[in-house]
Amino acid sequence: MIQKVLIANRGEIALRIVRACRELGVKTLAVYSEADVQSLHVQLADEAICIGGPRSADSYLRADRIISAAEIADVDAIHPGYGFLSENAKFAEQCESCNIKFIGPKSRSIKMMGDKSVAKDTVRKAGVPIVPGSDGPVESESEAVKTARRIGYPVIIKAVAGGGGRGMRIAHNDVSFAKEYHVARNEAEKAFGNGSVYIEKYIEKPRHIEFQILADSHGKILHLGERDCSVQRRHQKLIEESPSPFLTPGLRKTMGKAAIKAAAAADYENAGTIEFLVDAKGNFYFIEMNTRIQVEHPVTEECTGIDLIKQQIKIANGEKLDFDQGDIKFEKHAIECRINAEDPARNFTPSPGTIGLYYAPGGHGVRVDSHVYSGYSIPPYYDSMIGKLITYGPNRKTALERMYRALSEYLIRGIKTTIPLHKAIMSDPVFIEGKATTGYMEEFMARTPTDLFT
Amino acid sequence: MDLKQIKQVIDLMKRSDLTAFEVEEEGFKIKIKRGSDSLPIVNHRPVSGQYLELPPAESAARAAPAAPNGTRSGPAADEAGMTYIKSPMVGTFYRSSSPESKSFIDLGAKVTESTVVCIIEAMKIMNEIQSEAKGSVVEILVENGQPVEYGQRLFKVKQD
Repeated sequence: MIQKVLIANRGEIALRIVRACRELGVKTLAVYSEADVQSLHVQLADEAICIGGPRSADSYLRADRIISAAEIADVDAIHPGYGFLSENAKFAEQCESCNIKFIGPKSRSIKMMGDKSVAKDTVRKAGVPIVPGSDGPVESESEAVKTARRIGYPVIIKAVAGGGGRGMRIAHNDVSFAKEYHVARNEAEKAFGNGSVYIEKYIEKPRHIEFQILADSHGKILHLGERDCSVQRRHQKLIEESPSPFLTPGLRKTMGKAAIKAAAAADYENAGTIEFLVDAKGNFYFIEMNTRIQVEHPVTEECTGIDLIKQQIKIANGEKLDFDQGDIKFEKHAIECRINAEDPARNFTPSPGTIGLYYAPGGHGVRVDSHVYSGYSIPPYYDSMIGKLITYGPNRKTALERMYRALSEYLIRGIKTTIPLHKAIMSDPVFIEGKATTGYMEEFMARTPTDLFT
Repeated sequence: MDLKQIKQVIDLMKRSDLTAFEVEEEGFKIKIKRGSDSLPIVNHRPVSGQYLELPPAESAARAAPAAPNGTRSGPAADEAGMTYIKSPMVGTFYRSSSPESKSFIDLGAKVTESTVVCIIEAMKIMNEIQSEAKGSVVEILVENGQPVEYGQRLFKVKQD
């Protein structure tokens, strides 16, 4: 019986976990860095233990100190949140061997899905479509060309050791391929110390659509619908919504089944997300599985009415999911805007500092997940996300109008934020018509004057 | 009253506007008073005797909410010539290497940077903690067997 949870995270997600635990009658222990002494969740948790200096490497990534804190405070479980150690299979294993329940999947599921090529191979064997490509790195230029022709142009050449959108070149035919292949190899060698590359089919202007999974420890795996996260900048999501304006009920059913198959192939437990790319024709391809709760989980919560964090704790407690796939209804349309302390008019440079006046929007259909408050100093050591604004309604039109209204009320004085950018997107015809793909942000920024963001 | 009941009373006080609570039973008397928010509390150790001071924060190591200058409240700014030996890890504090051994140091002991002052046990490993300060120990701030967090002040040292 889980009675006390250690929250191995910070910021808005730590606050979110405190809230869920409170409602379940579970005690909370916040572990924090010296930079987070004034953090809201540290004040609200039942207990708090300082685990290190301001830098993440000296605190939130110190598995040894976190487990030490868990032991001296006698906790039953650790919730890792997202980022930090949430997808660290070794940390999950350490929890398992110390008899502390890791609120998430088994360590071997994390390990399996953490390796991109193992993940693709695993789901492919389960009958889930993957992005066609070379099976692992290509050994030679001739093999690379053969692969490219087999897959069909356009193709993308990716660094094996790359990530975060770096080390990728696109080729549209044999001639450009010959050139791009060498450029990609050289760039990879210089940037990552490893010149190995693999080839994948390049899906032009796809939509990024992911499915939320919940699986209990008794073999039941369900999907809670999709989130369309196509509005991204440099592979960082800005806006997410559910349902996707693109999916038909038939495609949703098919992709939902595929998502469950992928999770089953990973022997999955607890909450997770299967990410797909979807092209204009409705072909979908698995790209990766996130073996943790995600930033944008509130979108699914408002759409389905199901509290995902509470479900995570219940599943970790050994309880069965007390509903079935047919019970899950997608009753509302929900949309989330990530509020970052960045200046969109100056190429999104971070804007740390002290928040003067903070006033969050409210009213019907508005949810704010944020840990900041008037007078709060944003520490410069962590990411720039200071909150999430979620709106929901009976249809997409209402959700969008509500989002525009809520963004207009949202006051965060003293720092620059992405609120004006989100307002501009909410008024943009392409977005309003539901036509945004992963190419949207670049195209939008190119045609929108930056003084619209101030 | 047993410890569980006392904790329940403290909990009740924290969640309400109660500022004082007193009970007297045969052979036992306890008075619990809330510390005033307007008076700075210089140290968080419970006052000995019948009175148990209830500090604004739950534990000595946690700062009070939203102090205007954004720093931790608690012990006043470092006095001149004084420094603190702080815990470099999370674990359990011990004064000696085993229950039968003598304490590494006592009040008044002279220390140099490399003097071993205590043990902090973390995950079954006993870590010897060095002073890193030079001077004489004027105060011992934690008790044998007490859990400590990163940065927690263990000893007050008057520097040479």
